[in-house]
Amino acid sequence: MPMSDYPRESVLWPRSRCAAAGNPLAPRARDLNEKTICELWDVIFRGETIYPLVREYIRARYPRVKFVDYTHFGNFYGAREEDNIATRLPQHLKAHKADAAIVGIGA
Amino acid sequence: MLRAAALIEKQGIPTASIISSGFVQQAGVVKKGLGIPLQVGVYPGAPMVDSEDVLRKKVQEELAPQVLRALTADPRAEEASESDPAPGEIVFTGTFDEIQEHFHQKLWSDGLPIVPPTRERVQAFLEFTDRDPDEVLRALPPEGREASITSIAVNGVMAGCRPEYMPLLVAAVEAMCDPRFRIEDAGSTPGWEPLVIVSGPIAAELAMNCGQSVMRVGRQANSSIGRFVRLYLRNVCGYRIPPGAGDKGSIAMSFNVALAENESYTHEIGWPTYAQDRGFQADENVVTVMSVVTISPPTYSAGDRAEDHVAQWADVMGQAFRYWCHTGFKRGVWHALIVAGPSIAQVIARDWSKDDVRRYLHAHMHVTAERATHYAKMTSTPTFDLKRLVSEGILPQQYAASDDPDRAVPMIIDPSMIDILVAGDPGRNQSRGYMSNHIQGPPTSRRVELPKQWKLMAGRRR
Repeated sequence: MPMSDYPRESVLWPRSRCAAAGNPLAPRARDLNEKTICELWDVIFRGETIYPLVREYIRARYPRVKFVDYTHFGNFYGAREEDNIATRLPQHLKAHKADAAIVGIGA
Repeated sequence: MLRAAALIEKQGIPTASIISSGFVQQAGVVKKGLGIPLQVGVYPGAPMVDSEDVLRKKVQEELAPQVLRALTADPRAEEASESDPAPGEIVFTGTFDEIQEHFHQKLWSDGLPIVPPTRERVQAFLEFTDRDPDEVLRALPPEGREASITSIAVNGVMAGCRPEYMPLLVAAVEAMCDPRFRIEDAGSTPGWEPLVIVSGPIAAELAMNCGQSVMRVGRQANSSIGRFVRLYLRNVCGYRIPPGAGDKGSIAMSFNVALAENESYTHEIGWPTYAQDRGFQADENVVTVMSVVTISPPTYSAGDRAEDHVAQWADVMGQAFRYWCHTGFKRGVWHALIVAGPSIAQVIARDWSKDDVRRYLHAHMHVTAERATHYAKMTSTPTFDLKRLVSEGILPQQYAASDDPDRAVPMIIDPSMIDILVAGDPGRNQSRGYMSNHIQGPPTSRRVELPKQWKLMAGRRR
């Protein structure tokens, strides 16, 4: 039988609607002097070395920037099944008066 | 990690996320699914294999400037993505071969031929649920696509399932939709794979294998339900291996066939079934999904006393679990599933309850503090410290009982984290251990909802 005579079928899309709404980014801070940057770390991939280097780099350009280092937040990724970053993070950041945050490390 | 950044941005706080270059494509998928153009700083290469000098140079010259820019500069506009078809839309018409080719090109198949999801075939699946085809269980990460009943039916058709498996497929997706399952981590580098466990009378009604070669591809229900889960993760969650993106399993595992327990034998020897252990009644149909990251060797044991067998499990399965249990230590949880061969279970059950087995394994499967710390350092965590994990309340006190690096600590954090299920060849003396990936994919169960006309419909199909 020639290929053109093979039965043809119509098939449905195997994926589904994307529910993501377009969310804007927060306004960026032009000048980091007097601002507070919170560091969130999931305690992996050499953050103990990387974060101080990033801190040093930013501080060299904005000497009056403040950092709340990652030790204040513990492992933000969480532990055990019941832990949920969504409920803890906003309070933590508010308590530290965060103006910006560095989040890592997704190697 | 990017999910945390999105949450922070929504509070009006600018973020910079740190990723390494191998994760840029996956980050693109996650950002799209979150619907927010998150700004990242990229570390070139893999930080775990760079010297201190190289790492310093890369951070100073590449990563830190990008982090600073992400916090202070307005982002560039993101490219608009291709628009999607509508759910339930006919996307292609062609011969069987043309459909296979189209699905391969679109990255909608798993590399094996699929059953073409025609409207008629999908409708046959939808008849096996009383749920509305448009019902959405949850928008699933990383791509943020809706886990709809129709999407379950379409992928069930493609996987080679029969329409009457539909109630199990819905229950499996419902379990994976539970936030505690952390499906957002199903594309993580260890490459774990969900394992579907089917309990209750439905396993026998659907002719599932619970005996010899229970975990081998070959029985339609076991094989196609396992394949369905992988296809669903690919098509709806968005976990695709290259040339796609989203799945970062470094080497990874392929799909597990669905596992069914030999429940009649379990009742016979006087043990509760796996589902009963999880709080269900013996006659309830239940689907449990758990992650599997490591499987023990086939573990043979001999003897007519319970301890002969359970000691062998502690030894052989312990060797398989020893390396990766540090990841559970960091999160305070991981689960072991022991698939006990029927002949072995019968010997053990004569003298010991399942709780006796759990207590024994907890007491006899050990890793030294030094090895756990070493394995953690090798994997990702140079700062791993059992004492700190105890002080943070993540691990019980006994993990910090002394400073001796050679002290033995329990591999399994609590006896309740051990599950036991009877299956496999009744004519041989083999068992096998399955290890979950810490807090990612803990055993998560859902009752199976059968359609009102189940008996009639299922009878008609047989």
